[in-house]
Amino acid sequence: MRILGSLVVIAIVVAGLGAWIIRGPGPLDFAGGSKVALADYRAGKPTGVPARLEKASLVERGEYLAKAADCMVCHTKPGEKDYSGGLAFKLPFGTLYSTNITPDKDTGIGNYSDQDFLNAVQHGKRRDGARLYPAMPYTSYTFMTDEDVLAVKAYLFSQPAVRAKAPDNTLSFPFNQRWAMIVWSAVFNPDTRFMPDTSKSPEWNRGAYLAEALAHCGECHTPRNLGFALDNRKKFAGAITAGWRAFNISSDKATGLGNWSDQDLISYLSLGHAPGHGSASGPMGEAVDHSFSQFAPEDIRSIVAYLRSVPPQPSPDLPATTAPVAPASHRDGVTADARGKKVFASACASCHGWSGESPVSPMATLTGTWAVNDPAATNVAQIVISGTRRHTPDGALSMPAFGNAYTDDEIAAVANYVTARFGTKGSKLTAKDVAELREQTAE
Amino acid sequence: MATTLIVNGETKSFDAPPEMPLLWVLRDILGMTGTKFGCGIAQCGACTVHVDGRAVRSCVLPVSAVENRTVTTIEHVGSTPSGAKVQKAWLEAEVIQCGYCQSGQIMAAAALLAATPNPDDSDIDAAMAGNICRCGTYVRIREAIKHAANGRQS
Ligand code: FES
Ligand code: FES
Repeated sequence: MRILGSLVVIAIVVAGLGAWIIRGPGPLDFAGGSKVALADYRAGKPTGVPARLEKASLVERGEYLAKAADCMVCHTKPGEKDYSGGLAFKLPFGTLYSTNITPDKDTGIGNYSDQDFLNAVQHGKRRDGARLYPAMPYTSYTFMTDEDVLAVKAYLFSQPAVRAKAPDNTLSFPFNQRWAMIVWSAVFNPDTRFMPDTSKSPEWNRGAYLAEALAHCGECHTPRNLGFALDNRKKFAGAITAGWRAFNISSDKATGLGNWSDQDLISYLSLGHAPGHGSASGPMGEAVDHSFSQFAPEDIRSIVAYLRSVPPQPSPDLPATTAPVAPASHRDGVTADARGKKVFASACASCHGWSGESPVSPMATLTGTWAVNDPAATNVAQIVISGTRRHTPDGALSMPAFGNAYTDDEIAAVANYVTARFGTKGSKLTAKDVAELREQTAE
Repeated sequence: MATTLIVNGETKSFDAPPEMPLLWVLRDILGMTGTKFGCGIAQCGACTVHVDGRAVRSCVLPVSAVENRTVTTIEHVGSTPSGAKVQKAWLEAEVIQCGYCQSGQIMAAAALLAATPNPDDSDIDAAMAGNICRCGTYVRIREAIKHAANGRQS
């Protein structure tokens, strides 16, 4: 009996230790400074809305915060009404659909009390008590203040109610066991509100709040651990999310943001483009169009200040420097992949040019982008398949989706040609790789 | 929002949403229907025009991207040296079948010759691969380009 007892105790300790080790540090632990409760912080106001909206109505403040938290992109299926849900998230173990967060009483969140809404956003608990899957980034939103979460609620409740029921999730066992998320949450949801760091500037604290609680950068840019939660030991080191590569945004000089100027970062976040670094597309393009481009300039600067402080994490698979401009003539430079060259000549050259510097728009320039310098060519293949459609304050730009016009084999060939011509090292994609990439983004 | 372009040497100002493709502006707003709509997704080349002398697909080019830049269309390319040569060679070689793709073909060929006065087959492939002709005039197109290039030398 005694032995059994000790075994149980040992098992619990081991499990706890295991969970603790897997969980690792929290998203802000790297800063190391002394934290104080928000109420005791006097140096500035890291939460809430920027100064110009301080006097605005609750709904307007909520709108700013909802955009900063980028609720819309995930909670809107393309072509459907804003916030009416139904967007599919393809996971290795099935498909999840985002929920309707319009104030419709039957299919939306119209019956949610303030407490219900806080439970969902900060704790991952649905009104009926069921647990949310962490595709909803409540482990980030948990850092939001109650006041800010409720402002978002007021904004959502000011929107038209849309009757739209999301399709049922198709997760396989054991992932369809929602109750298991109770355990997951207990281990991985920090379930605490934002605490300012008194050793850092007010700007940094604002940036930390925006990046961690609202913009949830880490959800795409931080690799995941065994428990499918963020591994903050590799904070912002980059990861593959929804079939696209979210690049390294740590302060690493070579492969992170270390060699981006402040102006580059400001431009990339607010316009989705920085000269010499390329343009945001895929999920980041959406984040810029719907979220970052709406930020107040001082909030963008705060995020930049915060990003700069994140310790460097190298991406060993990326080159130390991006490749220079390719030769202007199709004859010079790599010629290895004849098939890829042919596709490039037919479909790509008229916008991107043979040198990689676009004759039509700096936003379409390939030179200097991580996408073409990534030897895995993930984002090159993705953008060829799904194209891009961007609306920035700078104007519009779009690239058609070529996914239906070319076979997997042709897309692999052109991606291999493009990375070899405009990047440092050609990719070796096969038709099978392209088919898998298609799978991950297919709706 | 008023947008300004320099089209065929004339300054044109008009109201158009920034994301409207240049092709729509040319055909529907400016009434220049020489440039054709084929696929609308940069796949056929029928809509090719020149922006600052380079061949681009106007169907996927938002007008905001070419604000204040120089656009040349099939209506005017004959007054550029390479455009004139190409049109002459086209007539001599009887390139045209139904004609639908041909404004795009001529624009692509004129831009090629302006940049590469003596193109070889690989240059022609690289410049013309994106211009599809459903009537299959490719052989005559190639011949006419070479003819136009030689004409330039003589
Ligand atoms: S219409 Fe523009 S390429 Fe086909
Ligand atoms: S001549 Fe008919 S499509 Fe080219």
